[in-house]
Amino acid sequence: MANYGMALDYKNCINCKACEVACKEENGVQLGADKHRIWVGVKEIEGLWPNLSIASSTFEPSQCQQCENAPCQEVCPTKATHYTKDGVVMVDADKCILCSYCMEACPYDARYVKEDTMTVDKCTFCSDTRLLRGETTTACQATCPTKVRTFGDLDDPNSEISILLAHREHRTLKTHLGTKPKLFYLI
Amino acid sequence: MFVLAEKGMKIIERFIPMRHTDIRELLNFKKTPLNLLVAFTTLVFLVLFVVGATNYLIHGHHAYGVTREHPWGLMIAMYIFFVVSSTGLCIMSAIGHVFEVEVLEPFAKRAIHGALVTLLSGFIVIFLEIGHPLKMMIYNTISPGLTSAIWGMGVLYSLYLIFIVIEFFFLLRHDHKWAKRFGIFGLVVGVAAHSNLGAVFGFLVARPVANGIYYPLYFILSAMVTGCYLIFLMYGFKYKLNFPPEMQKTLVATAKILGLLLAILLFFEIWRMLTAIYGGMEDRAETALHILKSSPFLVGEILLGIVIPFLVILLSNGKAIKTMVFASLGGMVGIFFMRYDLVHDTQLYPMQTLKLREYQLPPTFIEYFPSTTEIFIALGAIGIAITLYYIGDKILYLETDPD
Repeated sequence: MANYGMALDYKNCINCKACEVACKEENGVQLGADKHRIWVGVKEIEGLWPNLSIASSTFEPSQCQQCENAPCQEVCPTKATHYTKDGVVMVDADKCILCSYCMEACPYDARYVKEDTMTVDKCTFCSDTRLLRGETTTACQATCPTKVRTFGDLDDPNSEISILLAHREHRTLKTHLGTKPKLFYLI
Repeated sequence: MFVLAEKGMKIIERFIPMRHTDIRELLNFKKTPLNLLVAFTTLVFLVLFVVGATNYLIHGHHAYGVTREHPWGLMIAMYIFFVVSSTGLCIMSAIGHVFEVEVLEPFAKRAIHGALVTLLSGFIVIFLEIGHPLKMMIYNTISPGLTSAIWGMGVLYSLYLIFIVIEFFFLLRHDHKWAKRFGIFGLVVGVAAHSNLGAVFGFLVARPVANGIYYPLYFILSAMVTGCYLIFLMYGFKYKLNFPPEMQKTLVATAKILGLLLAILLFFEIWRMLTAIYGGMEDRAETALHILKSSPFLVGEILLGIVIPFLVILLSNGKAIKTMVFASLGGMVGIFFMRYDLVHDTQLYPMQTLKLREYQLPPTFIEYFPSTTEIFIALGAIGIAITLYYIGDKILYLETDPD
């Protein structure tokens, strides 16, 4: 039993979107701008031309925060959204009734409707693809050219992610909501 | 099919008093311009429903204007509109026949009939919104998500339906003892179900404008307001504004209760806005200001939904019951906007504030407009409610007991 999480050295992100492509390829995410499990958020450049602050333009790669206290899991009327033994928030497509309450409840806009099953889908940390095959990395991590992502077991003190989080300052998104996200942004 | 229906009716007739009505009689009504207008509009609405529902069954949620950022739309608003009406009518009916406030007793049966009709219409709408309604019935039972407000609401509304059907059954049989007992159950479960519906929004920690105690309370209050409006509409149409003296008393009393409810509702709205804006918490205050400047809120919710009916009651001391029928019509338009706005406003503030694609502007307030299919189904559901009400009115004895 593990407690999977991910650290993102987001300042290294170059917005090449290879992670988005790898995720779609690995997990069979359909094409289309609205169909994505992961994304790279772009902060607009501040200032007026020609006095633009290049430093203000930053990239924030993101995905489901795999919250420890996930609002999407709490609101699901059929327990389709559940935690795996490894602490990953997953959707059981057989039980999903597409009431969209989880989409409404997610503070991170991390959920979308998968068209082939007409159920709600989200990032699974590649639990049902790569991890199932015995690999130890997620598709987005494996493909990242600047090593933004570090995935691993938060409960193992010797894992790369635990060591990284012990030595680097980090923050989480919308911490005030009490969702206890397991995506950590390294500062 | 007609033979079967006739046999079914005969069996029901053994248990509850009914008018002997065949199909021809059912379709026969006084051909006044108003009746013809209502009949024609209802027919058009029913046709629109068939077109809209067919399009939905072919294209699924693609036929709706909902998006990833705005997953709930007009269908959810209409569902709320109907079930709010149902709870409101149930509460108003209970004041008369459960709590024995004599002056309000005359509409007990008609109000419960209205509650049943609107609840069924709401269920039809929600079946066309939920992606997998049959799976819902199975997994709500064998894999219940007890922490989900939707689950609680589903179970409670199902119980509510059972209780008000039984209550209506005993009311029609003039069995007051049992009608009262089931009336209490229906009322308690109805209020629980309805406040639970408010909690569907109130529980959303991600949406500060909706999160909190406001909606579960406001839903009950606005339900009672809706119930009063519908009572005015039902009796205004039935008596074509020529109310008999007994009914005048009842409607004046209803107007006075409505006046109080509207004053409280206005009070609620004012404090809701002030607390949301005060302090300037970014996502909450900005959203509240956006709502405050929108015409559906100002013209729909406040003016039509609250202020005009309130002024009519206030200026006439509740006696202008004929004017109240028209004010109630506007009031129901206002109530619709209350439901539509609460669904839309909850989703206004974007959860993702960074832009995700090139040539995209950073997300601001989420926009949504219902698709034609959604509008067709919404209007169609009103048509269904009117049709069911008309059938009930034709075949059942909905007036006060003969004794």
